[in-house]
Amino acid sequence: MSEAYFPVGPGLGMEENFLSLDDILMSQEKLPGRAETALPRLAVLMGQGASSAESVPEGSKLEIPLWLAKGLHDSKRRIISVELPKIYKEAWRTVFSADANVVDLHKMGPYYYGFGSQLLNFENPENPEIAQTILQTFVARFRRIMDSSQNAYNEDTSALVARLDELERALFQVGQKGLNDFQCWEKGQASQITASSLVQNYGKRKLTEVDG
Amino acid sequence: MEPAEVEFLAEKELVTIVPNFSLDRIHLIGGDLGPFNPGLPVEVPVWLAINLKQRQKCRLIPPEWMDVGKLEEIRDQERKEDTFTPMPSPYYMELTKLLLNYASDNIPRADEIRTLVKDTWDTRVAKLRLSADSFVRQQEAHAKLDNLTLMEIITTGTFLTQALDHMYKLRTNLQPGEGSHSQEF
Repeated sequence: MSEAYFPVGPGLGMEENFLSLDDILMSQEKLPGRAETALPRLAVLMGQGASSAESVPEGSKLEIPLWLAKGLHDSKRRIISVELPKIYKEAWRTVFSADANVVDLHKMGPYYYGFGSQLLNFENPENPEIAQTILQTFVARFRRIMDSSQNAYNEDTSALVARLDELERALFQVGQKGLNDFQCWEKGQASQITASSLVQNYGKRKLTEVDG
Repeated sequence: MEPAEVEFLAEKELVTIVPNFSLDRIHLIGGDLGPFNPGLPVEVPVWLAINLKQRQKCRLIPPEWMDVGKLEEIRDQERKEDTFTPMPSPYYMELTKLLLNYASDNIPRADEIRTLVKDTWDTRVAKLRLSADSFVRQQEAHAKLDNLTLMEIITTGTFLTQALDHMYKLRTNLQPGEGSHSQEF
């Protein structure tokens, strides 16, 4: 059962993977920030004004997507400044260090690990603690993911994955696949020839008559 | 690697059969087999044994570790120890499945054997997960596990290597290195 399509995985770390769909979706997440200089005629884009002639005044608060924040971020020409979203701040960091398993990471932004790694690109005095917290959270939640993915055979897993973020969900899928492959082999289905998923739909499409 | 591939490798193991036909020594690329004489036991690879059994040309003799007493000992030892006990065959899971599926009439107390092997497997896989978890939790750099069989490794292998990849990348975040590839205007 080899795959025909290998999706490019997210580049986890301070650089994104250009071709990864997960990274593209992740960089759409918004950061709170402030405009350091007036942004002429951009009020509509930033959701602040009604007409295209208005400019964003200096110092106003904005929600900026990550890709835009990374592009505009420059310590020499201060166009915008960004703050940390609240889940990477001190208060939530202590929650994570107390018990990372109870947090609903999907609700907190489905790309906790990826987004957190990208935040380290902006110079911020709390960066080492953020990096440490992200790592510790992953390590703490690893056991739960491993156990649930390797033991849930043929059941509805939506309750198990509901609180995982996207990276953990991908890991969960891998664990499930290992389990399913083994069970399928043990039942003897591995030696049965089945139609490939790529061609199963061919017979279902009916040719429509072309008139004229 | 998939379970089917590991089963393919397992089929090279030798097992004893008692044929009911006669044939001279045959020369195959991997080695010689035979000669086959009715009623005399001979050692052949599992792939041939299964094939002959399906065509009703032989009777299989179970390997000497495939016995209820021996397997109970192995299972109890597995449960007592924290490390992995050496298994009688590096392909015990595959051999059990193949022999019990195709030749259960030649193997006494086949159901009990199946249960015992499954119990041993479950214990070993649980130990593997425990050690993987402590490996990740303490962020060790190196771990060594003896006496694991290939089938056990592939069931958790991909998951573990991917998780360790992620952990590695998250760890390199801790060292703010040089080379932030920003685009200067």
